[in-house]
Amino acid sequence: MRQLAIRAENVWKEYRIRHNLEGPQTSFKAVLNIPFNRLKRNSEEYPRLKRSEPFFALKDVSFDVEHGESIGLMGRNGTGKSTLLKILSRITRPSKGKITLYQRVNALLEVGTGFNTELSGRENIYLNGSFLGMKTFEIRQKFEEIVAFSEVEQFIDTPVKYYSSGMFVRLAFSVAVHLTPEILLLDEILSVGDAGFQQKSMRKMKELLGSGATIILVSHNAQAIRDICKRAIWLDKGGIQEDGLSSIVAEKYSAFLDSLAS
Amino acid sequence: MNFLKRQNGIAPIVITPPASLEMPNFRELWEYKGLFFFLIRRDIKLRFQQTVIGFLWVVLQPLIQMLIFYVILGVLVKVPTNGIPYHLFFLSAFVVWQFFIQVVNGCAYSLVGNIGVITKSYFPRLALPLSTIASALIDFVVSFLVLQVFLLFDKNYPVTYRYLLLPVLLIITVIFSSGVGMLFGALMVVFRDTKNLLGFILLMWMYVTPIIYPVSIAPEKYRILFYLNPLTSLVDAYRWVFLGQGSLPKISYLLISLVVATLIWFIGAIAFRAMENRIADVM
Repeated sequence: MRQLAIRAENVWKEYRIRHNLEGPQTSFKAVLNIPFNRLKRNSEEYPRLKRSEPFFALKDVSFDVEHGESIGLMGRNGTGKSTLLKILSRITRPSKGKITLYQRVNALLEVGTGFNTELSGRENIYLNGSFLGMKTFEIRQKFEEIVAFSEVEQFIDTPVKYYSSGMFVRLAFSVAVHLTPEILLLDEILSVGDAGFQQKSMRKMKELLGSGATIILVSHNAQAIRDICKRAIWLDKGGIQEDGLSSIVAEKYSAFLDSLAS
Repeated sequence: MNFLKRQNGIAPIVITPPASLEMPNFRELWEYKGLFFFLIRRDIKLRFQQTVIGFLWVVLQPLIQMLIFYVILGVLVKVPTNGIPYHLFFLSAFVVWQFFIQVVNGCAYSLVGNIGVITKSYFPRLALPLSTIASALIDFVVSFLVLQVFLLFDKNYPVTYRYLLLPVLLIITVIFSSGVGMLFGALMVVFRDTKNLLGFILLMWMYVTPIIYPVSIAPEKYRILFYLNPLTSLVDAYRWVFLGQGSLPKISYLLISLVVATLIWFIGAIAFRAMENRIADVM
């Protein structure tokens, strides 16, 4: 049966690009200077430059995601992949359009989000879990599993600042994948940890998919996308270029990259 | 259209462009009550972990300030306080003032201070300023006990029925101070100078509030000006509770303070919401 997980309808995201003629306007002084700068700008020595211009990170993006789908997002840098994930994870809001989420979203846009290095691993698991919207009892239920997966049992009551970067990353990843997301958004984090841990996280991801989770994954690694995702969306200049089977989209994308290089 | 329903029966989440004025979403805040708990724990833990004498700070701060003002204004200048020992006069208002600025500062820095989590995960942002109220309350309890110790020594100021008013005053103070704090918190996202401005405003604000002096030292016809400051009548009411000075604040005055405080709170919360929609884009 077809069940929607995400529906995105004509989503636009506009950012303003500032032309820093007079520096960023983040101080009162700069604001007081605006009228004088305007006079200056209209005088002849200065070219008539607008103070800011719109930049569309996403242009009219629409797609549906069904329960249990795994989607890879590809595209060059600055083509809106991360912006799309940020909107889906509700960190920023679209300028136009509408997105409906029918499942609970858990985003891992950067490893160790919300980790406080002064606190112990244990405390960070709870804090991070509650940032991700989990109830305390849900976190407690998963606690042992998270710790075991991350392989930091010995240091769980040590402040995170004494962790090695590998330990830190493993714990953060473990928190995100264990806190039962229905929709999991991942931004370039498959490359965390050593080879052994990468394999382990790949397995975990497939296991999540097997249990019916919906996954959206941003990666530059076409192989990883082909392995995990059935479907891929290729974004270019803020719009959807291709949307289809991951093997086909990945092929077209690499052909496109080749054509750019030659 | 059955498939459009979320499986567990909860309404789907609709993400739309931000409206220009958005009300705080209290229901969502309630759903995230676990987050409040851990934020409060984090605040308290970090404060006492990172400072050498930790908890003592909370006790020492009002004591040292009291000592300074006692020597300068109580002993040297001899500010008239209607027969109340100056240190009690000062401390009974200063504990309130300290609570006020702690909430204002906590709320004001809560957006820019948590930028790391704000740009990386979603949760109702209002949880950040509101959770700072709790650690300020803990400090207040400590400095309140310090005040009680001094009142006990004097023997003229027993705990009476007047303390029944204390919770009401605290509620008004919390609403007012978090509203002011959120307003500055929103401003801080746009203007970095707000940090300097806030410190300056709070310093000025302390001097126009009758904390180190009584309103009665001003000529009769100017006294009304002091009451344009919402904190003046609050401080008066606290002094009435602690020292029995003056008379029971009129219920209508308290109601007015409550209404003004609530108004400020909503203005602050709406400004805060407007900025939380922008912060991930500008930082």
